Amino acid sequence: MEKLSYLILSGVTNGSVYGLIGLSLSIIYGSSRVINFAQGDFVMLGALSAIMFVTTFNLPWFIAIPGVIGVVMLTALALNYGVYRPMVRRKAPPLTIMMGTLGASIMIYGIGLLVWGPDQKFVPALLSLKPLIVGPLITNPQQLAIIATFAAFLVLTWYILYRTRFGLSIRATGVDPKVALLMGIRSERIVLFSFLFSATVSGIAGVLVGPLLGGQIGMGLMLIVKGFLAAILGGLGSPFAAAAGGIAIGMMEALMAGYGTSLYAEPAIFMLILLVLFVRPYGLLGDYEAERR
Amino acid sequence: MLSIENLTAGYNGSEALHQVSVRIEPGTIVSVVGANGAGKSTLVNAISRLVTTPSGKMTFEGRDIMALKPASVVELGIVQVPEGRKLFAPLTVMENLRLGFHRLAGRSGSDKVFKDRLDYVLGLFPKLKERADQRSGTMSGGEQQMLAVGRALMADPKLLMLDEPSLGLAPMVVDQIFDILKMLREDGLTILLVEQHAEEALKLADYGYIMAVGKVRAEGTGPALSKDPALHHSYLGKPGETAA
Repeated sequence: MEKLSYLILSGVTNGSVYGLIGLSLSIIYGSSRVINFAQGDFVMLGALSAIMFVTTFNLPWFIAIPGVIGVVMLTALALNYGVYRPMVRRKAPPLTIMMGTLGASIMIYGIGLLVWGPDQKFVPALLSLKPLIVGPLITNPQQLAIIATFAAFLVLTWYILYRTRFGLSIRATGVDPKVALLMGIRSERIVLFSFLFSATVSGIAGVLVGPLLGGQIGMGLMLIVKGFLAAILGGLGSPFAAAAGGIAIGMMEALMAGYGTSLYAEPAIFMLILLVLFVRPYGLLGDYEAERR
Repeated sequence: MLSIENLTAGYNGSEALHQVSVRIEPGTIVSVVGANGAGKSTLVNAISRLVTTPSGKMTFEGRDIMALKPASVVELGIVQVPEGRKLFAPLTVMENLRLGFHRLAGRSGSDKVFKDRLDYVLGLFPKLKERADQRSGTMSGGEQQMLAVGRALMADPKLLMLDEPSLGLAPMVVDQIFDILKMLREDGLTILLVEQHAEEALKLADYGYIMAVGKVRAEGTGPALSKDPALHHSYLGKPGETAA
């Protein structure tokens, strides 16, 4: 029982990180039909710029966190104005724009390599990593912060999408951007917001997961793959489905590692995704995407 | 109100409109009719700034709109009901109506204006009130068309453009929609109606244009055009028939 509760906690923690990245990917996809291959780089920038602000510049967290958000937002602005908009203006299809984001990802990787070098670095923890006993569970404050942040971003995303006029415009743009234009909605602002918001989500995910994984150039690649799998499993286009997919993958990984071997975790995840897609081609909760066709 | 002179428009470098000139006076219904592929929808989309317009001139209430973006055209009060309804199918009827109100939302006193517009639209289409929380994609074709028109009216347009509102609808529903258009004209609204159902559209219109292969081939008062057998024969099929 103790082992199971430990595995569940571990699965929910990892799943929260995958869910945050899946949510980020889904927000951009929902408004622009583009899978942003540079999303993992926001996670990497979050972790590495936390090192820069906290360790190198010795700044307190209350300054470092806005600083990290500033770094990822500036990068998101550059991606939006430097890659997305010029390609949209030239009427590039989403697949071509996706290749553009891949190119941007390689550039961010190269710039990051110049700034931080290739070695893995210690990322200072926002909260303590000391064990904390909560009822039957042994955890630590950083782990709890990851889960709480995931929950907070889910609530915030839900609030924006379903309780604000701007959120209604985001959902309408996701369903049909051309008709959204006919309502007077400026879809380019919707897409810009989705880039900035998703960059913030991923950057903060980087700050939180950095101390557990270590900060390194390219760390975003593994995470974006898991985040993408989460979005596919849950249903691409719906941020909540992607978040649910993240938790499912995290749990699968933890349970496979705990009761079998971690070697089989990834094949098991792909097997799960294949099975789900056979039965529900739009993912577990993918009605949203299916209905718009 | 709207003046279009020698407009050329097209998609991906190919021209679908050639030197088209159209005038719309305030408080009138202007019908543009023609067979499939005549360029009618391109004309509407050019006014909405959804297609490229390499040459020509378009002014709305004296203001040049050639360089505007689609959202700015809506802000001026030119609102389109697109062909095939194009509702936001996963969203509810009320959410679609709220999106129609986007032009006026955020202005001072907009809550009261929203309520007034909603009362007006639900007065015209009482069925929408019963279906307020229903997903719009699950409604019948006729109800969807009513919602599409209602959504556009939520913006309190100065010029309402309807692209093939009768498409795929039963004749009884088409009559209902056309009756509503007459009522809207009586309320002072200016309407541009693009239709393949030429005879009905021309009878309803104060002024009409007949288009073929991207050009205006004839123009005149609606009733006069609808009674001209030569025009019907050349461009629209025999009188009493719908152009194919």
